[in-house]
Amino acid sequence: MPDTSQRPLRLGVAGPVGTGKSTLIATLCRELSAQYEMAVVTNDIYTDEDARLLRSAGVLPVERITAVETGACPHTAIRDDVTANLLAVEDLEQAFDPLDLVVIESGGDNLTATFSPALVDAQLFVLDVAGGGDVARKGGPGVERADLLIINKTDLAPHVGVDVEQMVTDGSAARGGLPVLALSQSSPEAVARLREWVVALIESHRAGEHTPQDPGPMAPHFHADATEPHSHAEPHGHPHP
Amino acid sequence: MDTADLGALLLADARLPTGAHAHSAGLEPALVAGLRADRVPAYIDSRLRTVALVEASAAALTLRLVRSDPSASLRVQDELLARMPTAPSRRASQLLGRGLHRLAVRLWGDHPAVRGMAGLDGPPLRPIALGVVAAALGMREEQVARASLYDDVQTITAAALKLLPVDPTDATAWLLASAPALEAGVAAALLVDDDPTHLPAHTAPLVEQHALDHHTRTRRIFVA
Ligand SMILES: Nc1nc2c(ncn2[C@@H]2O[C@H](COP(=O)(O)OP(=O)(O)OP(=O)(O)O)[C@@H](O)[C@H]2O)c(=O)[nH]1
Ligand SMILES: [Mg+2]
Repeated sequence: MPDTSQRPLRLGVAGPVGTGKSTLIATLCRELSAQYEMAVVTNDIYTDEDARLLRSAGVLPVERITAVETGACPHTAIRDDVTANLLAVEDLEQAFDPLDLVVIESGGDNLTATFSPALVDAQLFVLDVAGGGDVARKGGPGVERADLLIINKTDLAPHVGVDVEQMVTDGSAARGGLPVLALSQSSPEAVARLREWVVALIESHRAGEHTPQDPGPMAPHFHADATEPHSHAEPHGHPHP
Repeated sequence: MDTADLGALLLADARLPTGAHAHSAGLEPALVAGLRADRVPAYIDSRLRTVALVEASAAALTLRLVRSDPSASLRVQDELLARMPTAPSRRASQLLGRGLHRLAVRLWGDHPAVRGMAGLDGPPLRPIALGVVAAALGMREEQVARASLYDDVQTITAAALKLLPVDPTDATAWLLASAPALEAGVAAALLVDDDPTHLPAHTAPLVEQHALDHHTRTRRIFVA
C-alpha cells in the first residue's frame, strides 16, 4: 500500500437516489470547513445537479466543487473506471493545496454500487427510512461493509411507519459490528456524531493509522444451515463512534 | 515479448480504465441540435472523414516519431492543437489524454516515449497519448490508426445506446457499415510524412459549434 497519509483524506458518499447524500455533504462542509480545508466532487446523472445544489447552499467557495460527467454510468465512474473522478480530485488537490478532505458524491445508484479503493480511502453508505425499513436487512456490499452506514431522515420515520431502532439493529446485524448512525438533519446530536466520526477518520488518516477497506461488489454468502448472512468485513484501523 | 496485437485489442476495449465512458464524440450535443437517430451513421461517416482522420493521423505520426525521438510528441501536439480550434474540444481530448497518460505512467513509466510526455506544456491530447501508449506496447502505425478510428465510432455507438431508442445490434451494424470509410482513414493516416506540419487539417465546423454549445449547457450526461 502506498503511503497516502500525506494527501487529503478522500471520502466517498454512496447510496440510492435521494437518500440525502448531497444534503449530508453540505452539512459536513458547514460543520468542518472552518477547521479543515475541503473540496467536493459530484457525479450526477445530469452532470451538475448536485454541484448546483451544493454551490447554492453556500457552504464552500463554488470553485471547490467540481461536477464530473459519468456518461450515464455512475457505477462505472466510482468502481470500474475511476479515471474521471481521480482527475477531478487531483485537480482540486493541486488547485487548493493543501486540502484536508475531499468528499466524492456518487450519482445515486442501486444497492450494489460501492467506491473502488483506488478512488477513496473510506466511504459512507446512505439509506433513508423513507426507502423502506427492509433495506438495511436486505444488505448488499455498501450496507454491509461501507466504513459507516447512515440510516438517514429519521425525522420521517413516524410518517412512513418505519421503526428506526429496528432498522439500526438490522443494519448492525448485517455489518458484523461496523458502525451504523441514525441521522436527521433536524437532529443536532446526530449531526454532531457524524461530525465526530469524520474528524476521527481525518485524524487517523493523517496519523497513517487508517487502512482503506474495500466493501467489494460481492454478495455475502449464506451457509446452508444458517439464516444470518455471513460477511467478510476486516477489522478496521479507525475508531468507531 | 511482442505485445502489438494484444495492445491493439486493449486500446479498442471499453474496459480499459481511461475515463472514455463519459464521452460521446459529440453525439450528445449533435442530438440536442436536432440530429435524428437515422442520421447517426452519416454523423459517424462525417467524423471519419474529418476530425477522426486528423486524430488517427496524429496518433500514427506520434508513434512513428517517438520511436527515434522520445520528445517528438511535443511537435505533434502543437500541430494537433492548431487543428482543434475550440476550447471544449481540446479539454475533452485532454481529459482522455490524461486518462491514457495516467495509465502509461503506471504501466510503462520508464519507457522513453512515456517520459518524453513530461516535456509537454499542458495535458496531452488523446491522439498524442495514444501514439505514446502504442509505442510502449510495440504496436504498428496501422494498428494505432485503426484503434483511434474504431474508438471514435464506438464512442458514438455506445453513447447512442444511452441517448436514443436504438437496438444494440443495429449500433453494431453501424460500426460495420462504417468499415470502408474507417479503412480509408487508416490508409490515409499511414500516408502522412514525417513532418508534423503536414498533418491533414480537416475540420468539422458544426462539430466544433456543438462542442461550444454543449460546454455551456447545464444538463449534460457526457463530457463532449
Ligand atoms: N426530512 C428530511 N429530509 C431530508 C433529510 N436529508 C435530506 N433530505 C431531503 O431529501 C431530499 C433528497 O436529498 P439530497 O441530499 O438531494 O439526496 P441525494 O442522495 O443527494 O440525491 P441524489 O443525488 O439525487 O441521489 C431533499 O429534498 C432533501 O431536502 C433529512 O434528514 N430529513
Ligand atoms: Mg445528490
